[in-house]
Amino acid sequence: MEFAELIKTPRVDNVVLHRPFYPAVEGTLCLTGHHLILSSRQDNTEELWLLHSNIDAIDKRFVGPLGTIIIKCKDFRIIQLDIPGMEECLNIASSIEALSTLDSITLMYPFFYRPMFEVIEDGWHSFLPEQEFELYSSAISEWRLSYVNKEFSVCPSYPPAVIVPKAIDDDALRKVATFRHGGRFPVLSYYHKKNGMVIMRSGQPLTGTNGRRCKEDEKLINATLRAGKRGYIIDTRPLNVAQQARAKGGGFEQEAHYPQWRRIHKSIERYHILQESLIKLVESCNDQTQNMDRWLSKLEASNWLTHIKEILTTACLAAQCLDREGASILIHGTEGTDSTLQVTSLAQIILEPRSRTIRGFEALIEREWLQAGHPFQQRCAQSAYCNSKQKWESPVFLLFLDCVWQILRQFPCSFEFNENFLIMLFEHAYASQFGTFLGNNESERCKLKLQQKTMSLWSWVNRPSELSKFTNPLFEANNLVIWPSVAPQSLQLWEGIFLRWNRSSKYLDEAYEEMVNIIEYNKELQAKVNLLRRQLAELETEDGVQESP
Amino acid sequence: MEFAEMIRTGQAQAELLRGPEEPPLRGTLCITGHHLLLSPGPQATPDLWLLLLRNVDSIEKRVAGDSGTITLRCKDLRVLQLDIEGVEATLDIARSIEALSSLESVITSFPFFYRPKGLRLGDAWHFHPPECYYKRVARETNAWRLSEANEDFSLCPSYPRAVIVPRAVDDSAVARSARFRQGGRFPVLSYFHAPSGTVLLRAGQPLTGPQKRRCSEDEELLRAVLAGARPGARGFIVDTRSPQAAKQARMTGGGTEAKAAYPGWKRLHRPLERGRPLQESFVRLVEACGDLEQSMDRWLNRLESCRWLSHVKETLSTACLAAQSMEQEGACILVHGAEGTDSTLLITSLAQLILDPLSRTMAGFQELIEREWVQAGHPFQLRCAHSAFSHARPKHEAPTFLLFLDCVWQLGRQFPLSLEFGEGMLLALFDHAYASPFGTFLCNNEKER
Repeated sequence: MEFAELIKTPRVDNVVLHRPFYPAVEGTLCLTGHHLILSSRQDNTEELWLLHSNIDAIDKRFVGPLGTIIIKCKDFRIIQLDIPGMEECLNIASSIEALSTLDSITLMYPFFYRPMFEVIEDGWHSFLPEQEFELYSSAISEWRLSYVNKEFSVCPSYPPAVIVPKAIDDDALRKVATFRHGGRFPVLSYYHKKNGMVIMRSGQPLTGTNGRRCKEDEKLINATLRAGKRGYIIDTRPLNVAQQARAKGGGFEQEAHYPQWRRIHKSIERYHILQESLIKLVESCNDQTQNMDRWLSKLEASNWLTHIKEILTTACLAAQCLDREGASILIHGTEGTDSTLQVTSLAQIILEPRSRTIRGFEALIEREWLQAGHPFQQRCAQSAYCNSKQKWESPVFLLFLDCVWQILRQFPCSFEFNENFLIMLFEHAYASQFGTFLGNNESERCKLKLQQKTMSLWSWVNRPSELSKFTNPLFEANNLVIWPSVAPQSLQLWEGIFLRWNRSSKYLDEAYEEMVNIIEYNKELQAKVNLLRRQLAELETEDGVQESP
Repeated sequence: MEFAEMIRTGQAQAELLRGPEEPPLRGTLCITGHHLLLSPGPQATPDLWLLLLRNVDSIEKRVAGDSGTITLRCKDLRVLQLDIEGVEATLDIARSIEALSSLESVITSFPFFYRPKGLRLGDAWHFHPPECYYKRVARETNAWRLSEANEDFSLCPSYPRAVIVPRAVDDSAVARSARFRQGGRFPVLSYFHAPSGTVLLRAGQPLTGPQKRRCSEDEELLRAVLAGARPGARGFIVDTRSPQAAKQARMTGGGTEAKAAYPGWKRLHRPLERGRPLQESFVRLVEACGDLEQSMDRWLNRLESCRWLSHVKETLSTACLAAQSMEQEGACILVHGAEGTDSTLLITSLAQLILDPLSRTMAGFQELIEREWVQAGHPFQLRCAHSAFSHARPKHEAPTFLLFLDCVWQLGRQFPLSLEFGEGMLLALFDHAYASPFGTFLCNNEKER
C-alpha cells in the first residue's frame, strides 16, 4: 500500500491558515504520507508541520467556491485552512481523513522517522527492569526478578521480567496467572526503603460466582507481610461493582481466604465516563463568550476535577498505608491496566523523591505505564474532539499527568521537571515521531520490533539542549514524603493544557523567563560571594603567617 | 467612658490555636482597651502576640468542665481559637471582647493612640493632595482647573476640599450642578488620558425625578468637557445600574441624563452589584472556602451560586469598556451609579490601572487609592464595619473595596511583570481597610476626617 494512493491532491497553493495567536497566513499546503505542511509564501518558512496522527476530527464547510477545513487536533488545538476550489478542498479533506485513520501501526511515522540529532543515549535501554531492580538493593533478600513471562506466554500484557517474592517459584506464578484477570498476577510495583513495605499491583481475582480460590495467589501476597502484620487491598472499584464482577467471572479477595488483608473500596471512574468528561471539559474551555455562571456550571458538570480528587485521594491513601501505617498494599481494579497504574505511580510520586527527578520520573513512566502494559494504543487513539464511535479510548494517562501537575503546583520546589515536561508527555502519548508510546504492551512492542525500527522518546528528551526546556528552576532536592491537599479548593483546572490555545500565555512566559534569569543571576552572585570569601580566608591566613615570629 | 469599665478580667492562662500551619501558642492572655495580647510564658515578656480587637467580626464561646473555648472569627478572615483555663475567666474575657470590638465611636479607636517608633505624626497624610494630581493634568492640557468651591464641604460633604473641573465652568455653575446631583456629587475629573486627550469623570446620579427636571449648568459642564477634549469628541455615560433600576430611580427623585439635554453623550448601562447582595456573596464565598471536606461538586456549585466571580467579571468588563472607549475610540467617559461612591469608584480606579502605567507602580497605586477611594468619599467606615463572619444585621456593609482588590489581583495574575507591587500589598490593604492601627481608612470622607 502506497501512501501516494491515499493522497488525492498532494499540493495546493493560496491556502490561508488560521491558528491560535498568529495572524492568518497564506501559503502552499502539502500533504505527505505523515504530515500536513503549510509553507508561507513570503519567506518559504514552514508555518505548520502537523502529524496526521495528531488529527482527531475534521469538519468541512463551503461558502461559494471557497472551502474551509477545520482540523481539530488531539492536543486540543483547532486549526482552520481556507482552500480555494471545491474539488481541491474535498480531495484534501478525504486524504486527511484516510491518512489520519490508518489501522496498521507499522505505517505510522515513527517507523519512517530518521532523527536529525546525534543519538548519545539509546532510550530503549535506559530503564530496563534489571537496572531498576538493582536500585532496590535492600530488597534483594526478599525479592527476585522472574523471567517466567519471557515469551509473554504467562501474561500477554506484562513485560518479560517482573519482580516477585523470593519464596514463590515460577510454577506457582503460572498458577496464579490463571487466577488473575488477563494473567496479571501480583507483582512488585514499589519498595519503600524506609520500612521495607511494598506496593503490589495485579488484575482482579477471578473468583466468579463459585467463589474459586487459588492457594498460590494467597501464598504470594501473604509472602509480603511481616509476621503478625496486616496488609491492605485497595480495590479501585466501589463494592457493588466488585460484587457484580463476579457474574462475569471476576470478583474480589474474600475475607475468609485472605484473613490478613483488609479490603478498601474506592471509586475511580474508567473508560467512556472519563472520555465523556474530557469531551465536555474541552468543549466548555473553548467557549470564551460564556458568562461566569455557565462556565462554572459546565466545569462542574464535566466532573473532571472530581476524578482528579478521587484519584489523588486514593493515591494518598495508598501512600499513607505504606508510610504511616507501615503496611504493604495490593492495588487492583478490574483489569489492572488503568486506575491501578494511576494509583501506583502517584503513590510513588508522593513517597519517593527519586520519582520527582527527571530520570526518576521517566523510569516511573517506563515501569508503571509502558512496561506495566497500559494500552496506550487503544486509550490514546482518539482525544477530546473525536466524533466517531469510541471503544477503548480514555484519557487515563492525561488524568495521571494532571494529578502530577496538581502536586507540582502545591510543591513547586520538589520536582526537577516543570509543567512543560508534562505537556510534552501528553502530546507524545497521542501523536509522536518516536516509538515509545506505540503499542499496548511489551509483547506488541517486541513483535513490532520497535527498538530496532523506531527511535525512543527518551533519546531525544535527555539531550542537554532539550532537558533545559523541561527543568524546573526552583527545584531543591529533598528527601521528603510530600502529602498533597485534596480539598476541592486546592485542586485547579490545568490551564496549561486546557486553556493553552484559548488565551495567550505571552505574559506568563515572560514572567517565567524573568524568574529563570533571576535564579541564574542569584547563583552567579552566590558563586562570586563564595569565591570572595575563600580569597578573604586565604588573605587572612597569609597575614597570620606573616605576623607570627 | 473608660476602657477599664469594659474589661472584666485582666489576665488568664490560655492557649491559642492559629490554624493548621502554625504551632499553638501558650501563655498569659491579657485584654487592653484595644488589643488582645498573648505573652508566652507565665510573665509578660516583650515577645507578644497581639490582635486588634477591632479585627474581631464575631465570637463564640463554649465552656466544659473548668475551662472554656472562645472562637474568634476575624474581619481579615482568620479563625482563631483560645482555650482558656477557668470558666469564669472565659466568660468574662468573651464579654470584654464583645464590648470592646463593637465600639462605634471613631475617636476612641486605636489609631488615635498608636505611636509607632520611627514614624512621626503628620508624615504621609499629605503625600497626595488633589493639587498634586492637578499639576500632572495641567502639564498636558489647560482645559481644566482646580476648584476650591467645596472648601468648607458645603457643596458636597463627601468630596474633598479641592476638585478638578473644566476651566470654562465657574464655581457658581459648579454649585448649581451640585444641587442637581445625588449627595452633591457633581461631575469631576477622575483621570486624564494623555495619549488620546480624553478624560474619565465621575459623579452621582442626576436628580431628574418624576418631573424630568433639567439643570443647564450640569449640561454646560458636560458640554465643556467634550469641547475641551478633542474636536468632535464623543462621550459615553456608563451607568452602573440596569436600565430598569435607573428608571425606577426617577420615582424617588433620581434618574438618568436625558438624551436631548446632553448632545454628544451616549448612555450605556452596565449593571454592577452593590450593597447587601454583594455582602451576601462575600459571606457565602467565605463559607464555601472554609469547608475543606466537601466534594468537588459541592465546592464548584457553591462557588457558582455565590456569584463572587461573576461580580469580578462584570466589574472588569465594565472597566475594560471604559478604558477601551477612551483609548481606542477617543471618547470621554462619565461614570455614575446611584450615589457614585461604590461601583463608580470601582470602575474609575480599575480603568486607570488598565490605561495608566504610573498607577501600576507602588507609589502610583497608593496615590490612586488615596485619590479614587479615600478622598473620593468611599464610605469605608460604613462599608468595612463588618466582614464575612459577622452575626450582626448588615446595614451599610459591602465588600466593594475587596472586590476592587480582587480585580487588581486578577490583573496581576494575567500580567505578572506589570505591577510593581505584589499580592502581599493587596492583602495588607484588605486587612487595614477593616482593622488598622493607622488612620487612613477611618471615617467615610474628607469632611469627617
